[in-house]
Amino acid sequence: MTQSKYATDYSAAEQMVVSAARQIEGNDVVYVGVGLPMQAGVLAKNLHAPNSTIVIENGIVRASIFPIPRATDNLHSQSYAEQLSGLFYVMCLAQAGYINTGFLGAGQIDRYGNCNDTAVGDYRNPIHRWQGSGGGNDVMSFCGRTIIILEQTKRRFLEKVDFNTCPGYLDGKPGRREEIGLPPNTGPAVVITDLATYCFEDGEMTLKTVHTGCGVTLEKVKAEISWDVKVADDITDTEPPTEEELNVYHEKIEAVLRSYGPRPGAAPPSAQAQGNPR
Amino acid sequence: MNKITTMKEAISKNLKSGDLLFLGGAQHGAPSAAVHEIVRQKIDHLTVIALLSNTNLLIAEGLLDKLLTGFTVMEEKRSYVIRRAKAMNKLPIFEEYSHFGIALALFAGYMGLPFMPTKSQIGSDMPVYNENIKSIESPFGGGQIGVVKAFVPDVGILHVQRCDAEGNAQKWGTLGVDHEGINASKKIIISTEKIVDSGVIQRDPNRTIIPGFRVSAVVEQPWGAYPVHLAGCYTDGPNVFGAMANEEAYDIYMQEAVYGVKDWNEYLANLKAKNGEDFFDKIKIQNPAMSEPVITGY
Repeated sequence: MTQSKYATDYSAAEQMVVSAARQIEGNDVVYVGVGLPMQAGVLAKNLHAPNSTIVIENGIVRASIFPIPRATDNLHSQSYAEQLSGLFYVMCLAQAGYINTGFLGAGQIDRYGNCNDTAVGDYRNPIHRWQGSGGGNDVMSFCGRTIIILEQTKRRFLEKVDFNTCPGYLDGKPGRREEIGLPPNTGPAVVITDLATYCFEDGEMTLKTVHTGCGVTLEKVKAEISWDVKVADDITDTEPPTEEELNVYHEKIEAVLRSYGPRPGAAPPSAQAQGNPR
Repeated sequence: MNKITTMKEAISKNLKSGDLLFLGGAQHGAPSAAVHEIVRQKIDHLTVIALLSNTNLLIAEGLLDKLLTGFTVMEEKRSYVIRRAKAMNKLPIFEEYSHFGIALALFAGYMGLPFMPTKSQIGSDMPVYNENIKSIESPFGGGQIGVVKAFVPDVGILHVQRCDAEGNAQKWGTLGVDHEGINASKKIIISTEKIVDSGVIQRDPNRTIIPGFRVSAVVEQPWGAYPVHLAGCYTDGPNVFGAMANEEAYDIYMQEAVYGVKDWNEYLANLKAKNGEDFFDKIKIQNPAMSEPVITGY
């Protein structure tokens, strides 16, 4: 790819969606939830992964392209699907090993990829409450590779999460997931934030790329993590969005979401549900 | 047997204080009219098992003792509903599962089994605080396996597109945990957009989600899921998440939708009077997709 293809003016949110969309390829079967994960799925279907299959929690399996819904289930995401069933069915697909890629938002994440969507502080007397697992625990428990998208702040990136809603590599010891009964060859694979992307090496979150194109530095990334993060030997700059990716994002995601208008009476979406840095 | 009745009677004759209640229609075809009638009748000390929340009104009115949930707003800073329940000292206990955990608890009930094995939730902290999720040694080798306790709701409520007078009910589109939840329930109330001749059901019997002999009451309630969408019928209304932002908006809404009207139909008529005769026409589906007829017979 030549340098001229890359956009020069883009936001961290756009970088997150584009980086997430690039995690979907070929014939992947992908579970997407509300917010940035849904945006990533729709973007990938419209760009480089037309043959991927998108699975939506309420029972939607679709190989055909569809307009982004406001949340997850609406008449647009339902209509002309290849299959409609229920949550039980799609989660059985996941538990039996047929969904290879899952996306999650998270309130907190820790060194070993465990995610908290439940409570800040003590569960019985929390400082803050999120809405809970939803399908998040199921996705993280079952999917071949899970990609977590969240805003990166020191308070969200902890040595150990306050509450483990969605199990990553637990205490980081090899084989711990299998030992407690989780399916083999599953777990968190990639973390995408508004500052950087991470992979997992031996179960430990490892800094892989920095969003230098958004003006982020390595120092800034490290300042927003509560432990001394492992850095990959081949750490590099995050590949910026291309002009084409941004154009499709603006047309197929941003414009469509805007056309739905505001939601009267709705509380502002939580960071957990959205994974959104704005 | 003809089971057609009014919403008022369907609720008052079948749902009692203290019941375990399943509410279907998560994200799609919520039983909105039925929930508003429960509130109108102030049936309290309920435990509800449901996916996501069409439970806001029940919480806000202090009618829930417990909510078995996978995902619901619990933060009082973000929710007038929670603040209101707390102020009355009637905040329900939240018993937390994953979404699949809720589905499995209902599926076990539907199967008539005490629990269902699963690989979900066992790696999390949820079992620490929820005694209905445990890990056991698999009797067939392979180490640990999770188990989720069964739930058999006393009453299940589902809103569907069509149903006959006997209660043979058909729903299509996404089903969330509708199939598991309604089949797990002991007493069943069906609210339906339309009551149809039994022949309509019998010519397409694979679509029946619950057979008539299992159903206690049938209520014809057009726009019964409003403002939530329902496949083949209507899309989301303009006020899809309800006016729950603050006390003022809440009180206005409760007056308009619950206490100031005798039933859902009066609420709907008032919405039309206020917003124009074409208010509901605007959310009817615009581009229906017709399936090819499914041929049965001999």
